[in-house]
Amino acid sequence: MNRWVITVVGVTVIALAVAGVGGTEPTLKGPGIIRITSVTKRFARVDVGRRGYSAGDMQITRVSLFNRRLRKRPLGNGQLVCTATGQKFWNCTGTYILPAGKITVSGVLIYSDFYDMAVTGGTGRYNNVRGTQVVTRLRRSEKLMLFRLVIG
Amino acid sequence: MSAAGRKPESLRTRLVVASVLFAALVTVVFASLVFAVFELRDATDREARANDRTVAALSLQELFLDGENGVRGYALTRNRELLSSWRHAQALLPQRLRTFAPMFEEGEQRKRASDLVESMRRYKLDYAEPLIRIANETPGAAGTKEAITEGADRIRGITARFDAIVAREQASALESADAAAHGARRAIAIAVGGLCATALLILAFGVFLSRSIADPLRDAAESSRKLAAGDLTARVQEHGAGEVGELTRAFNEMAERLQENRVELEAQNARLRESERLKSELISIVSHELRTPLASILGFTTLLRDRDFDEESRRRYLEIIHDASRRLNTLVNDFLDAQRIEEGRLELTFETLDLQRLLAEQVRLFAGQSERHDIDLEAAAHPLPVRGDRERLAQVLGNLLSNAIKYSPDGGRVTVEALRRNDHVRVVVGDEGLGIQPNDQARVFTKFFRGGAGASGISGSGLGLALSREIVEAHGGRIGFTSAPGEGSTFWFELPTDAQSGGAWRVQEPHDRGAKGGA
Repeated sequence: MNRWVITVVGVTVIALAVAGVGGTEPTLKGPGIIRITSVTKRFARVDVGRRGYSAGDMQITRVSLFNRRLRKRPLGNGQLVCTATGQKFWNCTGTYILPAGKITVSGVLIYSDFYDMAVTGGTGRYNNVRGTQVVTRLRRSEKLMLFRLVIG
Repeated sequence: MSAAGRKPESLRTRLVVASVLFAALVTVVFASLVFAVFELRDATDREARANDRTVAALSLQELFLDGENGVRGYALTRNRELLSSWRHAQALLPQRLRTFAPMFEEGEQRKRASDLVESMRRYKLDYAEPLIRIANETPGAAGTKEAITEGADRIRGITARFDAIVAREQASALESADAAAHGARRAIAIAVGGLCATALLILAFGVFLSRSIADPLRDAAESSRKLAAGDLTARVQEHGAGEVGELTRAFNEMAERLQENRVELEAQNARLRESERLKSELISIVSHELRTPLASILGFTTLLRDRDFDEESRRRYLEIIHDASRRLNTLVNDFLDAQRIEEGRLELTFETLDLQRLLAEQVRLFAGQSERHDIDLEAAAHPLPVRGDRERLAQVLGNLLSNAIKYSPDGGRVTVEALRRNDHVRVVVGDEGLGIQPNDQARVFTKFFRGGAGASGISGSGLGLALSREIVEAHGGRIGFTSAPGEGSTFWFELPTDAQSGGAWRVQEPHDRGAKGGA
C-alpha cells in the first residue's frame, strides 16, 4: 500500500515538474517574423441553408505546418474555421500550434489564395503577441504563412 | 672638454653633416609627399568604389522596382504585357544579385547587402511568383487590397534597405571625398612646406658656404694680393670652419714668417751695410791712422840712416819713432780687440781689485802726457772694490782719459771722480773740450764712428768707446755720457761692487788725490 502511494506521488511530482518547465518557456521580447508553409490535410465544408454559398455555411481546414529549411517533417499543425457571412465573405478564426506555443488568428477572408488575418494572441512564447498573418498560396495545397508579430 | 679647448669641426665633417641633413630632409619631404599622394589615391579609390556601389545599388533598385511595378500592374490589370518588365528584371537580377553583395567589404554594409539580396529573393519566391500564379488562376485574389498591401509592405522594406545601403555608401563616399580633399591639402602643404624648407636649407647652406669658404678665401686672395704687392702686414681675419680656418691661420703664419724674414733680411742688410761702412771706415782709418805714424817712422829712420845728428837730436827723433810705434801698437791692439769682440772671443780674467788704485795709476800715466791739461782726481775716501779684469778696466779708463785729452785740443781741466753708490762704483771723467754734436751723440759708441774728429785733425781709430762699452757691459756694468757742444763732455761708467770684499779694504792713500800731468 505505502509503496503504491509513494510511486504515485513521485510520478505526479515529476510530471508536474516537467509540465512546469514547459509552461515557463520565455516569451517573445520583440517584433519577429515567422515564415512557415502549410499543407492542407483536411478540408470540410458544411452547407447550411440555401444550397451553395450562403450565410452560415462553414469551412473547416486542417493543415500541417512545415519549415522546409529545418526539417521535412511537420513541425506543427493548425485549423481554420470560417463561417460565411454573405457576399462571399468568410469570418475565420484559426489556431496554429507551433513548438513554442500557439498563435491564434482572426479575420475576414474573401479569397483563400491570398488573405491576411489579425494575430489576436497566443500561448507559450507567443502569449503576448499581436500582429498580422499573411497567407499566400504557393501551389495547389501549399501555402506560405507569414506571421509578422509585435509585442502586444 | 671645455668649449674653449674643443677643436672645431672640420669643414669636411660640416659639409658631410649638412649634406646628410639636406638629404634626410629631402627624403622625409618626398616620403611624406609620396605617402600623402598614396593616401589621396586610396581615398579617391574608396570614393570611386563607394560611388560604384551606389550606382550599382540604384541601378539594381531601379531594375527591381521596374519588375515589381510589372507584377503589381499585372496583379491589378491582368495585362500580360506588363509582365515584360518583370521578365526582363528576372533575366538580369540573378547575375546582379550574385555580384551585388561581394561588391561590399566585409562588415555591416556587406550584411546589409546580403539581407537586401535575401529580401529581394524572398519577394520573388514568396510574393511575386505566387501572386502571378494566383493572378493567372484566381484573378480576383491577386488584386485584393491585402495582396497589394503586402507587396507594398515588402517593397517598402526592400526600398528602406536600398536607402540604407545607398545612404551609407554616399556617406562613405563623402568621407572618402573629405579624406581625399584633406589628403590633397596635406600633400600640397607638405610639398609647399618641403619646398620652403628645402629652399631655406639651400639658402642656409649657401650662406654657410659663403661665410665658411667664400669669404675667408676672398679675404685670403685680397691679402695675397697685398702680400704680392709688398705689404707684409696684410693679414686674414682668422675665421671659417675647419680647413678654411686652418688655411687662414696658415696664411697668417706664412705672412708673419715673411714679415719676420723681411725684418731679418733688412737687419742683415743693415748689418751688411754697417759692415761695409765699417770696412770702409776701417780702410780709411787704417790708411790714415797707420800712414801717419808709419810716415814718421819711415821719415825719421831715413834721416837717421842717411845723415849724422847730434846725440840730442838723434834721441828726440828716436822718441818720435817710439811714440809712433806705440801708437801703431795701440791701433793694432784696438783692431784685434774689436775683432775678438766681434767674434765673441773677448776673454776676461776676473779678480778683486781696487778700482780707485787703478784709476790713480791711469791718471798718473796720462798726467805726464799733456802739458796743457790738468787732470784732477777726486778719489773716494774708501777703497772701491770690484771684480774685474785689471787690464781691460785700465783700458777703459785709459780710453776715457785719452779721449778727454784728445777732444780738449785747447787744453783745460779734466776731472776724474770715483765714488761708491749703494751696490756699484761709479767713475766719472769730465772735460771742457769740444763736446759732441747732438746729431752724433747716438752713435758715439758705434765702432769707427768719430764724428767730426777726423776733420778736426784728431787722431784715433773710433774703436775706443765701442771697446769700452763692450768691456763695461761684460763686467755687468753700464756706460754713458752727457755732452754739450763747446762745453765739454762727461763720460761715466758703473760697475757692481765686489760685495764679498767690500769691508776688507783699507783707506786709499791721500797722495793719489789731485794729480796733475804735464807733457
